[in-house]
Amino acid sequence: MSFRRRIRATRDGGYEVRLSAEERSLLTVLPAQLVSLLESVGDEPPGDLPDALRRLLPPAYTTDPDAERAYVAMTRQDLVEHHRESLKIMSVTAKATWLEAEQLVAWLAALNDLRLALGSMLGVTGDDTEPPIGEDHEAEWIAYVYLGNLQSELVDVLETTLPDPVAGADDLVPDDHWGEPPGGLRWDGTPQPRDK
Amino acid sequence: MTETAINVTTAPAEVERPETHEESVPEVPWLVIVWNDPINLMSYVTYVFQKLFGYSRAKAHKLMLDVHHRGRAVVSSGSRERAELDVARLHQHGLWATMEHNT
Repeated sequence: MSFRRRIRATRDGGYEVRLSAEERSLLTVLPAQLVSLLESVGDEPPGDLPDALRRLLPPAYTTDPDAERAYVAMTRQDLVEHHRESLKIMSVTAKATWLEAEQLVAWLAALNDLRLALGSMLGVTGDDTEPPIGEDHEAEWIAYVYLGNLQSELVDVLETTLPDPVAGADDLVPDDHWGEPPGGLRWDGTPQPRDK
Repeated sequence: MTETAINVTTAPAEVERPETHEESVPEVPWLVIVWNDPINLMSYVTYVFQKLFGYSRAKAHKLMLDVHHRGRAVVSSGSRERAELDVARLHQHGLWATMEHNT
C-alpha cells in the first residue's frame, strides 16, 4: 500500500485535505452522533455517565467527593461545550478540501474525542486489546483504528506549528516525581510489569 | 498508550501514596497528575504537553514515557487554582488528569 499524505500545509497558512468520499462521510456522521450524546449530560458525577462519555468528562479529585462536586459544578458545562464545539466544526467541514489552521486544530480535538468515546465503548483496556473481528462491534473497531491513523497524521502536521518552548519551563517539574521504586502502575491501578 | 492508537479507562483506581511525615506547610503545592490510558496516542500526549505547558519536545516526550511506563506522571504543580486550571485544560484535550495535595 502506498502511503499518501492526506493533510498538507499550503502556502497560505491553511491545509489541503485529501480524503475519500467514504472518509468524509464518516467524519460528518460520527461527530454529529457524539454531539447528540453530549446533549444529555448534566452535572452527574463521572461514574454515572454512559461508558462512551466517561473518558471525555473525567474526575479531577478522586479522593474528595465534595471537592469533585464543586469542580464539576464549576467546569462541566464549559468542558461539554468545548468538546461539542470541536466536534461540530469537524462535522460541518468534513467535506472541505481546504481548512484553516484553527479548523485543523478542532479536527485534532474531535478525532481524539471520537477515539475516547469509541475506545471506551469497545472496552479498549490495554495495548493488546483484541479487535472484535466478526463480532458485533467490528465496524466501530475499524472506525477506531482509522481515526487513530488520521489523528496520528494530524499530530505530525500540527506539532511543527507549536510555538518555541518557554524558557525555564522544563525545570518546573522533575522528570520523575515518584522516584524508584515503587515504579509504575497500569491504567487500572495494578503494578506495571518491569522491563516489559 | 500505544504507538498508533489505543487507551480506555473508567475511574482512577486507588493507589498507594507514600506517607509523608513532614510538617504541613501552607504552601505545599498541588500536583497535577496525568494517568496512563490505553486510548490516547503517545505522539498526541507529547504534543499536548508541549502546547499546554511550553515544555521542550524532549521534556514532553520524557513525561509522556513516564506516564506510559510508570502509569502516571506529575506534569505541573502550583496553587490549587492553578492546578484546577491545568486539570481543566488537560481534560479539554482528552487527557486523564487528576490533582492531589500531599499534606
